[in-house]
Amino acid sequence: MGCIGYCREEPLVNIHLPEKPLVVLHRVTEKDAEGIIQTVAAGEIPRERALCRIDNWDPLAGEILHFGNGFEDIPAYAEIPYFAPQKKVVLRNAGLINPEDIDEYIAVGGYRALYRAITEMSPDEVVGEVTASGLRGRGGAGFPTGLKWGFTQKEKSPRKYIICNADEGDPGAYMNRNEMESDPHMILEGMLIGAYAIGAREGIIYVRAEYPLAIQRLAKAIRQAQTYGLLGENILGTDFSFTLTIAEGAGAFVCGEETALIASIEGETGRPRPRPPFPAQKGLWGMPTNINNVETWSNIPVIINRGGDWFSKIGGERNSGTKVFSLVGDVDRVGLVEVPLSTPIRTVVYDIGNGGIEGKAIKAVQTGGPSGGCIPASLFDTPMDYEHLTAVGSIMGSGGVVVMNDETSMVDTARFFIGFTNEESCGKCVPCREGLKHMLMILDKTLAGKATESDMQTLEELSNVIKMTSLCGLGQTAPNPVLSTLRYFRNEYDLLLKKAQ
Amino acid sequence: MIQITINGNSYSAESGETVLSIARREGVDIPAFCYDEALAPYGACRMCLVAVTNGAKEGITTACTLKAVDGLAVVTDTPEIIRLRKVLLELYLAQAPKSETIKALAAKYGIKKTRFTRKVYSDDPLKGRCILCGLCVRVCRDIMGAGAISYIGRGQFTEINTPFYEENEVCMGCGACAQVCPTQAITYEDVEKTRVMTSWSKTRVLLKQCTGCGRYYAPEAFISYTNKKLNPAVDETLRYLCPDCRRKEMTRKAIFLSMEEPVTG
Repeated sequence: MGCIGYCREEPLVNIHLPEKPLVVLHRVTEKDAEGIIQTVAAGEIPRERALCRIDNWDPLAGEILHFGNGFEDIPAYAEIPYFAPQKKVVLRNAGLINPEDIDEYIAVGGYRALYRAITEMSPDEVVGEVTASGLRGRGGAGFPTGLKWGFTQKEKSPRKYIICNADEGDPGAYMNRNEMESDPHMILEGMLIGAYAIGAREGIIYVRAEYPLAIQRLAKAIRQAQTYGLLGENILGTDFSFTLTIAEGAGAFVCGEETALIASIEGETGRPRPRPPFPAQKGLWGMPTNINNVETWSNIPVIINRGGDWFSKIGGERNSGTKVFSLVGDVDRVGLVEVPLSTPIRTVVYDIGNGGIEGKAIKAVQTGGPSGGCIPASLFDTPMDYEHLTAVGSIMGSGGVVVMNDETSMVDTARFFIGFTNEESCGKCVPCREGLKHMLMILDKTLAGKATESDMQTLEELSNVIKMTSLCGLGQTAPNPVLSTLRYFRNEYDLLLKKAQ
Repeated sequence: MIQITINGNSYSAESGETVLSIARREGVDIPAFCYDEALAPYGACRMCLVAVTNGAKEGITTACTLKAVDGLAVVTDTPEIIRLRKVLLELYLAQAPKSETIKALAAKYGIKKTRFTRKVYSDDPLKGRCILCGLCVRVCRDIMGAGAISYIGRGQFTEINTPFYEENEVCMGCGACAQVCPTQAITYEDVEKTRVMTSWSKTRVLLKQCTGCGRYYAPEAFISYTNKKLNPAVDETLRYLCPDCRRKEMTRKAIFLSMEEPVTG
């Protein structure tokens, strides 16, 4: 099965009795199994394990699914504080359908958007719909997807490629993993629509090798789609043909950067190259290539089914749609949270996450993966979207949200992230390769109580130089954890400094 | 032709030429370690920063990757660029403490020592001088078509050498790597009939003997590679002569031929 995202309550079990609501059981153990089967066989529900019931569900493809009525004593899905503020667009099917069965995906309206796109719409209309939706790249940079598609669409070339970037590697972030494991056909459908719009006949899913289940399910989904004539030649009897393959990463974080990713597929070392030329002009094997993140592709079928206008009304200004965040760290309710963009941090951390574990006070959240910044609790009214997170010194990134309670050392946190990016720097350009190494040395010196005020000046100066002069996004954002903690938690650094003699 | 402005002076250029290439041609000094006009822009050393003051995207960028368009204006040494370059040079001083090239450029920017911990090398085949600009790797792969050396490891542990630090038979011993190295880090030596690529896992390459004087003058593999590449081929009588003997032979032939020619007029 897939996963509905409430990680703290796992393992979850779905029970659907005829004409009855779908009931989600939580914290099920092996010992419970026999009892559950006996109870269900008797037409009942093990009430003590019931988390919530789902009467109706909207998979956003046309019809509302009606599971059934009854079990009113079990709380409804919308009454669960963890789910109530959420809006499931990307995770519309996650945990509710069998991801290994194409028929279940089709039963909830899957591949309807593809059919519509290739039989009723011109490629320009598809690009226009995506542009109208206001969808922006979910890999982190937030570039408008419709605009990006347009670049590759306009290129005249005998061959074009589309790529799904599934090299998710931020520590503590697993949104894309769940999207692939829970609903692989949604990604296939998004890519098929994109390929039709852009004019590509070949697509590649670049997925990290550390996600064996995701790879297995994607591979299975591809085989099923081939059998059903949804991949291959003359799809659904049209002139449109498209093949899809999987390329596995080899464990380098920097291969999430699109030019390094292309180098990796080509069999080269995963090192970024300067842009321009952009992949849209000169990408994989020198051909025009469009790369989008897993979650970006996942939104496409919904945009075609419900229309760009419908999509653009979700979320905030210039930040339409939802975003899946992985809410982890010292937060009570850990899990995958999907909310409209521009939802305040407070809603995610307190309303959905229920604050700190054991009621401990929360000091900060770190958003956007290792290149993000630490945002203090005093700024928790900040809307979680591309512009607002950047304004407070962090980034949206791919959607990691690490919550830290007041026992956390912010200097140690910054050191952890610099340690990570230092290890993952490809080593091509000097500021990232050498600069991060020296940042790490200064942070270690600080944590050992041996740093001085002048080390702090060097640290800050070096951080800014790395940001300004690095070749790719990794180096340009890597100093963020240090710069943001220097900005908001300078006192923690000062307390560690060697007292002037 | 288009016009671009560098530091207030106007220059003519071909559209699409890089700013660094134009600057080099016109004698405008922009420092760069990873650039060679024979190779594609690489953007690794970050020294050739310029500030775009009129163009599609204003701000600081690298001149080696910046394509010239009509009306483009850049400044090569704003206070901010100098400040950034100084910190980069400090990083280079720490990484390659034995490089005279780095020391000289740093001194030009008024930097005598670095604030950063200097890397300690023991038994470094590149003598503590390598700055990982990648020119050697690229010239070997992209120009010579050999690909004898590449990067090993990543990040701060990146090194350049042959695969598995073993002698590499695809190395022709041409020495192009040493030729392009901006910090003179790469060494090789000729010992009797053999060229030893000291920096590259002591890869040994056989030398060719001159059919004229008998001297071992160049790597065999390199001679046969260039002979294969040249079209029309080198005259058979000259093919395996060392440069000195070849010069003599050509001169001899020229005189001989002129004597053969009938005197007219």
